[in-house]
Amino acid sequence: MAKKILRINMTDLTATYEDVPEKWARWAGRGLTSHIIFDEVDPTCHPLGPHNKLVIAPGWVTGSPAAPSSGRTSFGAKSPLTGGIKESNAGGLSGQKIARLGLAAIIIEGTPPANKWYTLVITKDGVKFEDAAPLVGKGMYETDEILWEKYPNTAVIGIGPAGEMKLSNAGISVNDPENKPGRYAGRGGLGAVMGARGVKAIVVDDTGGSTVEIANPELFKIGRRKLTEATQEHALTKKDGALNTYGTAVLVNILNEAGGLPTRNFSSGQFEGAAKISGEMLNEVITERGGEGEVGHGCHPGCIIKCSNIYPDEEGKAYVSAIEYETAWALGANCGIDDLEYVAHMTRECNDAGLDTIEAGNTIAIAMEAGLLEFGDAKGALELLREVKNGTYLGRIIGQGVEATAKAFGVYRVPTVKGQSMPAYEPRAVKGIGITYATTPMGADHTAGYTIAPEIAGVSGKLDPLSTEGKAQLSLTFQAATAFIDSTGYCLFTAFPILDIPKGWEGMAETVAGVTGMDITGDDVIDIGKEILKVERLFNERAGFTSADDRPPEFMRYEKLPPHNVVWDVTDEQLDEVFNWVHNGKA
Amino acid sequence: MENIQVQVNLYGKIASKAGGRHIARLNLTLPQGAAVCDLLAQLGIADHERGYLFVNAVLCEVPGISTGGAEVLKDGDHVGIFSLDHMWPYQYRDGVPMSASLKQTLSAQDSGHGAMRHTYQNKKTDP
Repeated sequence: MAKKILRINMTDLTATYEDVPEKWARWAGRGLTSHIIFDEVDPTCHPLGPHNKLVIAPGWVTGSPAAPSSGRTSFGAKSPLTGGIKESNAGGLSGQKIARLGLAAIIIEGTPPANKWYTLVITKDGVKFEDAAPLVGKGMYETDEILWEKYPNTAVIGIGPAGEMKLSNAGISVNDPENKPGRYAGRGGLGAVMGARGVKAIVVDDTGGSTVEIANPELFKIGRRKLTEATQEHALTKKDGALNTYGTAVLVNILNEAGGLPTRNFSSGQFEGAAKISGEMLNEVITERGGEGEVGHGCHPGCIIKCSNIYPDEEGKAYVSAIEYETAWALGANCGIDDLEYVAHMTRECNDAGLDTIEAGNTIAIAMEAGLLEFGDAKGALELLREVKNGTYLGRIIGQGVEATAKAFGVYRVPTVKGQSMPAYEPRAVKGIGITYATTPMGADHTAGYTIAPEIAGVSGKLDPLSTEGKAQLSLTFQAATAFIDSTGYCLFTAFPILDIPKGWEGMAETVAGVTGMDITGDDVIDIGKEILKVERLFNERAGFTSADDRPPEFMRYEKLPPHNVVWDVTDEQLDEVFNWVHNGKA
Repeated sequence: MENIQVQVNLYGKIASKAGGRHIARLNLTLPQGAAVCDLLAQLGIADHERGYLFVNAVLCEVPGISTGGAEVLKDGDHVGIFSLDHMWPYQYRDGVPMSASLKQTLSAQDSGHGAMRHTYQNKKTDP
């Protein structure tokens, strides 16, 4: 049975199933959310107004039988944080269940009467609009529990109080296999877009649903075997490898040793307390406490990498999942905080209130720079975060993210691009990622440019990746490859075996071709990714963005970053090279 | 001859060589003129056991590639050494300061494109 688009209108509370139009038939995941936003959302609309839409789409292979680590769900809209197009994706339970209901995408549009809140219950029989008044004001931990009492073993997509208040740093939560709100489409404030539609939660029940249709089962099986083997063989993604053992926070000590760990609102590249909030320390604490604590936790069924974790309290009871690299850095090093216990408390607070931890940590650091509290004040930082859930005036400012908080308190050292704050790699020290931060249509984003193999990317023999020459072309190639992977439904970490093991790449392309019937090979990846980037770029241009928005913050151009004492020295001309092909055709 | 003091951090499995579970910090006394290879020998860390290696925040080795450890150490230097299985995706180290010898070694890999790998294999360093 052909996939459908489920269109939910919150103005008149109707749900309609539409055939997927030809123009969208090729797309899934990020490719589909971005094309729908490009086609249906006025780029000049207010992100919280009646003409923005929230689009939810699983990837090409999501929900297919045992495609490894393929449970991602893409969320797209015009972003309240950046004012541009946004795709943010998450693991958890939603993607596979949406796919098994035969849905290519869910489009949520319209606005209900003021102060009306709904839970959308999506099953094979249709959509129920339930009054969500009993859930309003509740955090995501309680929301997930209440909804599972009535709808056990379902996917719960929800927003916390931050989304209800339509704050620009509100994320969208997806429950994990333990029904905890650890998986977030965090970046860009998409939780506020969901809140503006009057939707507190979406329950997805795939009972009685069908399996995802496979156009070419033999090709799919061949590809699945190759990708699975490559993932299990690769040093980074195999069982007991670094990701599985230490989680993504394995990067804390590495970036710190390299002098690229942003510290105290991007004023240094090294933090003296880094080891205390690192993946290695996380492993020691979790192992020591035992009980329900877990390293090597899978964030969605079918994941074979398992880089997530469950941090237990002192009695061994599950307390929060997951403490990721970006989380430990944002709420730790960037605030001068070296107390892992407080990092765990703040992570849980973000998960409950419905906040992106990267933006939240950066915002606390701005408040520290402004003198509201001292760098290193862990207790004060936690109290400040709690203001958000409590809905105080100060909390509402903090919940708006870095730029709004910086304006409110007169801070000019503001580490953002296109309104979104930078993740945990200092661009003055790690210049390659800085080019991607500056130019991606998403605003500063560490997941926008994953490295892809030179032979797949078609990088010419003349290009030296170790020099600054050609970095623009590399960034474009990486961004295009990432846009493609974000459309597959595979976790971005499959990029590692894809890059280093030839059969990994073949396997990914073959599983996509096997499920969809499309004739996709490695040679097509960059061109397909560029099609996605192009509509995202054009949307932003029509929303008013210019090349001046493709720049890192000014202070990084003149303020030397210790310990290497370097400034941002990539030229504006180099940055403009990344996307000049959109209009002149030269890529 | 005067000795020098070097601060060393060990991460991952090799931390056990200095009594740690996943992290070990120690101060080592080495003779004047000692190089990274001397430090590694004193700690008993073989090529195949280690991955990323930094001296004063400069990347000197990556997993699978040993550059010989010829860097001469000074009093007060900091050395960070990671176990072989630690990861650091290329996009997150693209442009970081590297030692001249590592840059030269990576440039020679696959006509320079090898620098973009996430893991490296150098058969000479395999156990």
